[in-house]
Amino acid sequence: MWSIALKTLVADRGKLLTALVGVVFSIVLVNVQGGLFLGFVTKAGLLIDNGRADIWVGHRKMHNVDFPRDIPRRWVSRIRGIPGVKAAEPHLIGWTDMTLPSGGFESVVVVGVEPVSLMGNVWNVTQGRADAILQTDGIIVDECELEKLEYPVLGDQRELGGRRARIVAMSHGVMGFLVAPYAFTTFERAAVYLRKDPHVCSYILVELQPGADVDRVCEAVARRVPDADVYPRDVYSQISTDFWMTRTGLGISFGAATLLGLLVGMVMVAGTLYALVLDRLGEFGTLKAIGATERQVFSILIIQALVMAMVGAVLGLACVAGIQYTLSEPRAPIVVPSWLSLGSCVLVSVICLISSLLPYLRIRKIDPMMVLQS
Amino acid sequence: MIANRARDEHDADRVAVRIENVHKAYRSGNTSTPVLNGVDLTVERGECVYLAGPSGSGKTTLLSILGCILSADQGQICILDRDISRLSWRGRTTLRRQRLGFVFQRFHLIRGLTVIDNVCVPLTLRGASPRAAHKRAETLLDAVGLAHKANAHPRNLSAGQCQRVALARALVGDPDLILADEPTASLDAANGQEVMKLLRRLTTEEGRAVVLVTHDHRIFPFADRILWLENGQVADMPESPPSGASIKEDG
Repeated sequence: MWSIALKTLVADRGKLLTALVGVVFSIVLVNVQGGLFLGFVTKAGLLIDNGRADIWVGHRKMHNVDFPRDIPRRWVSRIRGIPGVKAAEPHLIGWTDMTLPSGGFESVVVVGVEPVSLMGNVWNVTQGRADAILQTDGIIVDECELEKLEYPVLGDQRELGGRRARIVAMSHGVMGFLVAPYAFTTFERAAVYLRKDPHVCSYILVELQPGADVDRVCEAVARRVPDADVYPRDVYSQISTDFWMTRTGLGISFGAATLLGLLVGMVMVAGTLYALVLDRLGEFGTLKAIGATERQVFSILIIQALVMAMVGAVLGLACVAGIQYTLSEPRAPIVVPSWLSLGSCVLVSVICLISSLLPYLRIRKIDPMMVLQS
Repeated sequence: MIANRARDEHDADRVAVRIENVHKAYRSGNTSTPVLNGVDLTVERGECVYLAGPSGSGKTTLLSILGCILSADQGQICILDRDISRLSWRGRTTLRRQRLGFVFQRFHLIRGLTVIDNVCVPLTLRGASPRAAHKRAETLLDAVGLAHKANAHPRNLSAGQCQRVALARALVGDPDLILADEPTASLDAANGQEVMKLLRRLTTEEGRAVVLVTHDHRIFPFADRILWLENGQVADMPESPPSGASIKEDG
């Protein structure tokens, strides 16, 4: 059956190409839409995922890393004494305005880092050094945000919250979910920029000793500071992601576009298979007349549908890799994990199989006597 | 008793087709149009029998019943020792696949397949290995004089060549009964004669039975018997019988 199915499929190159376009379209749309979605989602927990802290302690009902509430800084000393804790440091995150040379302002998220451990500091520094925040008035911004900050270079000065700030290093790709650029600096200076009481902080970041059980330490921290919420890194990252998923239409809009892509692909594959069958009704009639079973005839369709799916998937994934290589950037990262690629291939294969049902219903009605009547 | 059984067994070995009192009518709503009205027919192995007659006389219907493609309304039908009326649709499909060969008026070759792949189709349906199927197909293509066209596509062949490919396809599975529907209708006289010579040489000479529907008087000399169907019944030929063939009612 394989040879009959494959050779008859390849023989009609025009229709095969049409079907392949449908499958490629579906694969590209699912992967690029899904990749953009995952890219945005990754940004929602960026500070948490890259911040080196194993546990995040914050205000009750904390739900987004970029919108924290103040907690007492003194809780740090309560946590430091818990078995399994290697380090516990205050962390400050808040919003202020940066004054620009043109006279305008830009909202900035200031991240204040404890200056000794540098836990929660910037990463992927491409100009200068990460510990440059220890320099006087030192802040680190991301080079992908230069346009918003009116193209500063290292050493340039700006005002943050009415206080002088000097750009001492730059990172690459440290861009959050929001439109505001991050500015990393020391905890004390961040408190000044944000006009915060230095006795409060946004989070307490906890680093565990090697081998310590994160859940047990979380329970111990929760007992020691009962008014705080305590989450392991991955849990708080997910909470921050869920905040955007559940409170915006982001998931729905990406999902709808992906669904539309699948639908278009399905219609194209089903239409092509149906056209192929309509064009070859006599041939299917001949096969039935000379003894092909319903199962054999159906297997021809199934094989053709699966071959379309597989070839289309390979071509589609090649297109996705090209798109990812040329278009993915920190502002709109396209993150395509292997499970997404594999999942889309399985999904498209299932769709192709479902699409083969419509032409099969037509084939079922073919009476082999038709070949004797023509 | 023993003598009767021995005669029956001898009969079964000798007879490829035996049908008795077969009736068939086509229904459309409340209207029933009879097509076959009590047809009897016996075809022995190695015999080539033509079904001739005017349009609408029931030739194709009878051929379809013999090919297990159509069910009769009434009558006894025994094809290659199998009582067709007792076979399920699946059983009939299996019988077609395993023991019958078909030659159609319009060849009905599969366009996307090469000549040799077309010939292989019946063996592929039987689950034969591609290598074995190709080997057998090559033998048949050689027999019909088209070995050099094995890798050509049907669209590049003449009508006569297409019918020879169809003949090879019908024979590739060593069927016991060949059913041919107007095999020369789409061919010119020379090609028609050529196909019929091949059909006779490759079928009845090897003990296969052939039932052939035709309007083509030019090929009547190739028949062992010609049955004239008219109004759904086997009748006398309206004109003098063509030379080289005996025309008679069956049963």
